[in-house]
Amino acid sequence: MADIKNAALNALLDILKSSGADAWEVTDREESGWEFYFIRHRLDQHRAKNLRAFSVKVYRKFDEFLGSAGAEIPCDASAEEMRRTVEGLCSDASYVRNPAYTLNKPCAAGENETAQENPDIEAVSGNFIRTLASAPETETEDLNSYEIFVSSIRKRFLNSEGIDVTAVYPSSMVEVVVNARKDGHEIELYKLLESGTCDRETLARELAETLAYGRDRLVTSPTPALGKMDVVFSTDPARELYWYFIDRLSTGMVYRGISDWKPGDIVAPENLILKAVKFLPNSSRNAAFDAEGAPIRDLDLITGGRAAHYWGSRQFSQYLKVDDSFIASNFTVSGGTESEADLRTGDYLEVVEFSDFQCDSVTGDIAGEIRLAYLHQNGKVTPVSGGSVSGSMAEMAGTMRFSKELRQYNSLLIPSVTRLKDVTVTGAENG
Amino acid sequence: MNAPFSSWLTRIAPGLKELVSLLRKHYDYVSVLSTDSVGFSVSISQRAKSVTRETMSTERGTVIRVYRDGLYAESAFTGFDPEKAAETCENIVRELDAQLRLLKSAGVEAYETGILPDEERAVFTEMETGRLPQDEDIAALVETMSSVSGKGMEQGKAEGLNMIDFMVRASSTHVCKMFLTEKQDLRQSYVYSDGMAAALVAGQERTDMAYTSFSGRKGPELFEAIEEKIPEVLRIAKDLVSADRVVPGEYDVITAPEVTGLIAHEAFGHGVEMDMFVKGRALGADYIGKRVGSDKVTMHEGALCAEDVTSYAFDDEGTPAGDVTEIDRGILRAGICDALSALRLGVKPTGNGKRESFSHKVYTRMTNTMFDSGTDTLEDMIASIKKGYLLEGMQSGMEDPKHWGIQCIIDRGYEIVDGKLTGKVVSPLVMTGYVPDLLGSVSMVSRDREVFGAGACGKGHKEWVKVADGGPYLKAKVRLG
Repeated sequence: MADIKNAALNALLDILKSSGADAWEVTDREESGWEFYFIRHRLDQHRAKNLRAFSVKVYRKFDEFLGSAGAEIPCDASAEEMRRTVEGLCSDASYVRNPAYTLNKPCAAGENETAQENPDIEAVSGNFIRTLASAPETETEDLNSYEIFVSSIRKRFLNSEGIDVTAVYPSSMVEVVVNARKDGHEIELYKLLESGTCDRETLARELAETLAYGRDRLVTSPTPALGKMDVVFSTDPARELYWYFIDRLSTGMVYRGISDWKPGDIVAPENLILKAVKFLPNSSRNAAFDAEGAPIRDLDLITGGRAAHYWGSRQFSQYLKVDDSFIASNFTVSGGTESEADLRTGDYLEVVEFSDFQCDSVTGDIAGEIRLAYLHQNGKVTPVSGGSVSGSMAEMAGTMRFSKELRQYNSLLIPSVTRLKDVTVTGAENG
Repeated sequence: MNAPFSSWLTRIAPGLKELVSLLRKHYDYVSVLSTDSVGFSVSISQRAKSVTRETMSTERGTVIRVYRDGLYAESAFTGFDPEKAAETCENIVRELDAQLRLLKSAGVEAYETGILPDEERAVFTEMETGRLPQDEDIAALVETMSSVSGKGMEQGKAEGLNMIDFMVRASSTHVCKMFLTEKQDLRQSYVYSDGMAAALVAGQERTDMAYTSFSGRKGPELFEAIEEKIPEVLRIAKDLVSADRVVPGEYDVITAPEVTGLIAHEAFGHGVEMDMFVKGRALGADYIGKRVGSDKVTMHEGALCAEDVTSYAFDDEGTPAGDVTEIDRGILRAGICDALSALRLGVKPTGNGKRESFSHKVYTRMTNTMFDSGTDTLEDMIASIKKGYLLEGMQSGMEDPKHWGIQCIIDRGYEIVDGKLTGKVVSPLVMTGYVPDLLGSVSMVSRDREVFGAGACGKGHKEWVKVADGGPYLKAKVRLG
């Protein structure tokens, strides 16, 4: 059976070895997934998927240059189709010449081994279905609809340098739409939650929090025009603030000139610690090696507010003389010295739901329309909605405050509360 | 030339028809969507070059939709062997039955739906294209794009810009899709292409990215005019590096066609996707026949409304492409609908059932979402504004169909004072508001209109598909922050 399963891959490898390519990489990706779609706890439809494809990249060497080209080859491609595709890639690779770099080589034994987590899709699906069915709904706050995605992914990476590593891991996602209603008026809130498998406790907590926000949104006043105001982030949009730091330390952003951060530069508050980590509990991105076969390890990216290391792909890392880098997938941010309560003092606007909060890693601009926020002003707390927040992380990062308590969002473990100073808050009403 | 239909799909069609027949012994309705789409993407800058034979629409695979006891289910897979239809049938039935056992053990009830109609129909469409992506001379294209990148850098520097890079991206896809049931055999083949040119520039205190895009239901011949984009990109770059922040408030504005398109997409694109009506997630359901905009507002949606990246002959459920008048002179007339939602709502599907790929579920999705043209000129529109902005360039948008809130992040605002552009630029701008207020404020509409299809659209924060949108210049009143 294994031979039949590997016949297509072996045929592809034979074609690559005799293609004239100077180097090559192949990722054989298989995914088995179950999906369930619900409208108010009734099953809309159910789906299964069984997918496999080969991602191929070939390289051609030209003195101090290296050309490359990639393609996805269907698992049912004939040998002739594979040969034609690989020939085309060899040709394409000769036209796009970049400064030379080398591919990853096999590493020390054990460095790229991974716990092979082959999830029981049926059991994980059952956990999601039962947890969502028992969400703490009330007569006025409930689940409008939800979608459950559970997959087992098997990824085998091989290259011409001799790397041959395999990872098997779970990947899950739940989309939930919550309704809340009062006096004939109904609103909705949206959540997209990713994880490895079903952590019933965390999911139940997320659902309860969103249902409570739904209740509060019904009693909001229009956000007043506040001018400059401290803004507190305590839910998933906070991820965007920390991606600003992560992105700007990637070798791709630095080499392309988008980020000018260098190791040693002060780029964040002095107590901030940003790390790439190999493993986070129940992350859907736990793996021992990256997409190019490099071993993933724990790595300090920012320590004491100063840039410490870059992370990123082999190509751009080598251009920046960083030889042992990798494409990181999990990150942690810590170092906060203040408590959540410390950060929730004085006047501030705590925004818990945006229409879509964004932080542009190129410019540092942040922006988002407010769906639900709590305005803490003169000792009073008022739920508000509408209007927007905007500003620039490039200007505000230095004075950012963040809690010592942490909260995990799949592959990110970040401070549970983050406070930005002097953010522009546009009101929902004129003025 | 006509884009030739996939020989791979032609080869497996008899096996898929056999699979449909075998599955019909287990289910009351069976359909198949099989795809085989190829293409390329080339990115060239001064710092890095890349080429791949992949785009966001390249794929090969099959999805089966079945119906029994009021419930729909799907199985998506790769690696179909037309000689082994019986084995594939067994695997599908076994896995879907296992899911049903799990659902039964969890006490789940079905959202019962009627059966889709199946009437004799055959379509074979090979749409016209200048060239095919699989035949493109990549060497020549890379040379052209490298030349454009180099000229963009040189010209930018000559114009006093602190240029970091000038990037060009070109992407072309030959889409082939086959939809089969017991009675239907639909096959279509078309080519679409899109791309962008962008300048990365350093200002005094920040780095900015200036870009413009292009698209069409065309082959790689679309890229022959890339060089013409250089002056526009550099003009935008100069505007961005000199831009200030806007003073938050409500303003009279004129939206350029790409911003008009973003408003169309977010306001009454997502707002009238009728799978949201089924879930009670859209306020639009209660407003059919009612006023949602000024008399100046007429909007169309459909694959037939324009020739761009998503102008197909039939959607991913086999429904023919349509052209829906969503808003007619301010009155909301109709929404757009996939086939299952149409069954549930008792309406006709509009040809808007789309999947991110063969392996994803169908949702109601947009195709071309367009405001109709009016009778005004841009010059008259600018002259009519005492204090406001001409809004150009879009970054992103988000809607709230339940509450009719809209968020658009706009690239640039050009100040207008006393009917004249002052030359002052603000960037970026967060435009927010209540959709009927925004559309109700539309007071002037220009004669010309454009369509833009270089972007993609998600449903919530996933399910990314190609869409196009656009329209003329609109004068409206909005809140900017």
